Amino acid sequence: MKAFDEIDPVAAAVYFVSVMLVGMFISAPMIQLFSLLGAAAFCLIGGRGEIKSDLGFYIPMFIMIALINPLFSHNGVTPLFFLNGNPVTLEAVIYGIVLAVMMTGILLWCRNFTKVMTSDKLLYIMGRAVPALSLTVSMALRFVPMFKRQMKKVSAAQKGMGLYSSKSYTDRIRGALRVFAAMVSWSLENAMETSCAMKARGYGLKGRTNFAIFRFTLRDCIFTVTTLLLLAAVIGGYALGYIDFYYYPRISAADINAGSAAVYVSFAVMAFLPFMIEVKEALKWKYFVSKI
Amino acid sequence: MEILRIEDLSFTYPETQDKALDGISFTVDKGQFIVICGSSGCGKTTLLRLIKKELAPHGEMSGKIYIDNRPQEELDDRTLAADIGFVMQNPENQIVTDKVWHELAFGLENLGEQTSVIRRRVGEMASYFGIQDWFRKATDQLSGGQKQLLNLASVMVMQPRLLILDEPTGQLDPIAAADFIATLQKLNRELGVTIIIAEHRLEEVFPIADKVIVMDKAVISACAEPREIAGILEDISHGHPMLAGLPSAVRIFAMTGGKGKCPLTVREGRDHIESNFKPVSESKEEEISQTVGKTVGAELKNVWFRYGRDEPDILRGLSLKAYKGELLCILGGNGTGKTTALNVISGLKKAYRGKILIGGRKISDYKGNSLYRGMLALLPQDPQTVFVRDSVRADMEELLADAAKGERERLVAQTAKKLGISHLLDKHPYDLSGGEQQKCALAKILLSQPQILLIDEPTKGLDAASKAELRELLRNMKQEGRTIIMVTHDVEFAAECADRCGLFFDGEIISEDSAKKFFALNNFYTTAANRIARGVYPDAVTCADVAEYCKKSKGENV
Repeated sequence: MKAFDEIDPVAAAVYFVSVMLVGMFISAPMIQLFSLLGAAAFCLIGGRGEIKSDLGFYIPMFIMIALINPLFSHNGVTPLFFLNGNPVTLEAVIYGIVLAVMMTGILLWCRNFTKVMTSDKLLYIMGRAVPALSLTVSMALRFVPMFKRQMKKVSAAQKGMGLYSSKSYTDRIRGALRVFAAMVSWSLENAMETSCAMKARGYGLKGRTNFAIFRFTLRDCIFTVTTLLLLAAVIGGYALGYIDFYYYPRISAADINAGSAAVYVSFAVMAFLPFMIEVKEALKWKYFVSKI
Repeated sequence: MEILRIEDLSFTYPETQDKALDGISFTVDKGQFIVICGSSGCGKTTLLRLIKKELAPHGEMSGKIYIDNRPQEELDDRTLAADIGFVMQNPENQIVTDKVWHELAFGLENLGEQTSVIRRRVGEMASYFGIQDWFRKATDQLSGGQKQLLNLASVMVMQPRLLILDEPTGQLDPIAAADFIATLQKLNRELGVTIIIAEHRLEEVFPIADKVIVMDKAVISACAEPREIAGILEDISHGHPMLAGLPSAVRIFAMTGGKGKCPLTVREGRDHIESNFKPVSESKEEEISQTVGKTVGAELKNVWFRYGRDEPDILRGLSLKAYKGELLCILGGNGTGKTTALNVISGLKKAYRGKILIGGRKISDYKGNSLYRGMLALLPQDPQTVFVRDSVRADMEELLADAAKGERERLVAQTAKKLGISHLLDKHPYDLSGGEQQKCALAKILLSQPQILLIDEPTKGLDAASKAELRELLRNMKQEGRTIIMVTHDVEFAAECADRCGLFFDGEIISEDSAKKFFALNNFYTTAANRIARGVYPDAVTCADVAEYCKKSKGENV
């Protein structure tokens, strides 16, 4: 189990939403760079997936986005050369590269998100928001595989009697309809029994609670508060104009001052937070093992 | 201290004349283990459901149910929900949620417990039941036995004082069933939970019961300690139908007219036989080989099968011959591939090596569905899957789509009469009891006039009377010259109706003999009757055999 998987689903969701929000809406190059590097570092250290085969997807995509922007966007004041009579500008090239960094970064974050937020975690978050829905979804998830299995059994049983398995299409369609109709009554029958089992265990009493196997610990609390503070710093700095950056018509000079440095550092910490947690846990283990 | 008292309880379902329960009275003391038995349709389920108020069927009820000396209707819903636990027969349908931990927590969520309380109780229960290894699994990935154990655990987590179980082992294989009963015994002994259980399979529960209630058509015909039950039933009428469902030791005791303390377990039964009966001088009958001169119905030669290229082999060089007019029974543990073997014989799955001959022709020579036209049919484990229409009649006619209307009606009526299901023809297949479903499914399959019948686990959840009927039907089909291959766990049933038996293990049949010899030569995998009488009459396999020998021995020694 990786350390970040152990974090409470709500805390993890807050983190992912925050970092992706910044990554998607603030296009300052430093922010984008940290976003990409943070996501990539998370991917690497989590050992999440086959990095080799992924490079085959991300690198061509990166190049494509970086190329497409200068070919179609002719804004900017510094032409590098002309293609079919259209100027290819330095600004468009650089913006293309930043765009590619942004897209790749966001895709990697999404990837991390799906790896960390498994269906039961998402279900749990949904359950916190709408308790009735969570039970319904849980029951549906229980029902679907059961339905599929029974349907297979019924089809096999019919085939074992030589029914609905001749070559003719009408026979097959009729068979499929028959089996499906049988499955509908089977489902109803089944639901009756399930509802009996639910009633027998007190479903319908007033004041139902929702139990979850996850628990929000102090660690999760600290993690969430840190995330939110960093997010506030980044957004605050952005609102105050510390990291304003323009690509068109002319690239604005990167203006490094105390304010912008603080914003960049905040976001860098934020983007590398999962990486740092993983590294810390890994080191801890190493330390433990060496002590043993 | 009594926990449950039922006074003169009668119940009638709406729009029916006959009472489902008629003047039932009994009391249950705290910590008792009560077994209720009776043939299906005797009112067991109705009685149990009336005790659990939430599940009470609609209808006219008279009489009183007291729980802890208070009338049932005075108790509030919350107490009733928590104090009385109920487990039903089908392990599948009682599971509500998708994860094991959620299932365990479900009841406590309904009671409105706080997360910390739920966490503690769920953890406690999971540890007690040994669930911790699959605690985070999806409920769908569990085996039947695990599912039923989960159902029990998720009821126990609410800390009921009275646990009601309605045929909980009906759908389990013998090993899972024995485990389940052992868990119940542990709950009863260690936690003092009062248990009321309705069962058909009495071999395991009988010895541990404090009291046995025998129901017969809406009334209680016997309510006594297990050791006295046989005597009481014998007094009511000689050869009372319920006797056939009792454990082998009790049956042998009753059949041999035993007096004194009735044995309940195999060990006690053995003591009883060995101290009361002498071996008989064996009349050495040379056993005539049953297979000589018979034509082969189905034959498998060195058949190999696996589900996927990288999966393990399920059948590993399986060879067998099934002759016309005989019943070949394949026995074996759970998940050894017996059902897969039937699927391969029936052509539903294709073997990747080996030869399968059906009626002397290669199975691949049957094109389209010609194999299933008058040649072969498979009765699957769950008879419910056979039905796709909303009445048994419509379902049966489905198989005769080619015949003219008059002919169709005649054939359906004829088959229905033969199997004794004429009164069920217009019912919905799902409304039938397990035994009735099995018979109707058999009827449907017989309409295609198969020469070879493959039957998968037909006795699951059946009571003794239905089993006897099924045995009779199988015998008739044998006499008509059909080949029957049956797969089962039910050793007793196999001993009573098979001609030859084979033990399926590790992908092949490792021992094959005539039924008598097969069980007489096995040490563990044999009938309870054989285990009881083994020391004195080694080749007595069924209870009737043992009784016969005992009579002979009495005759010789007088």
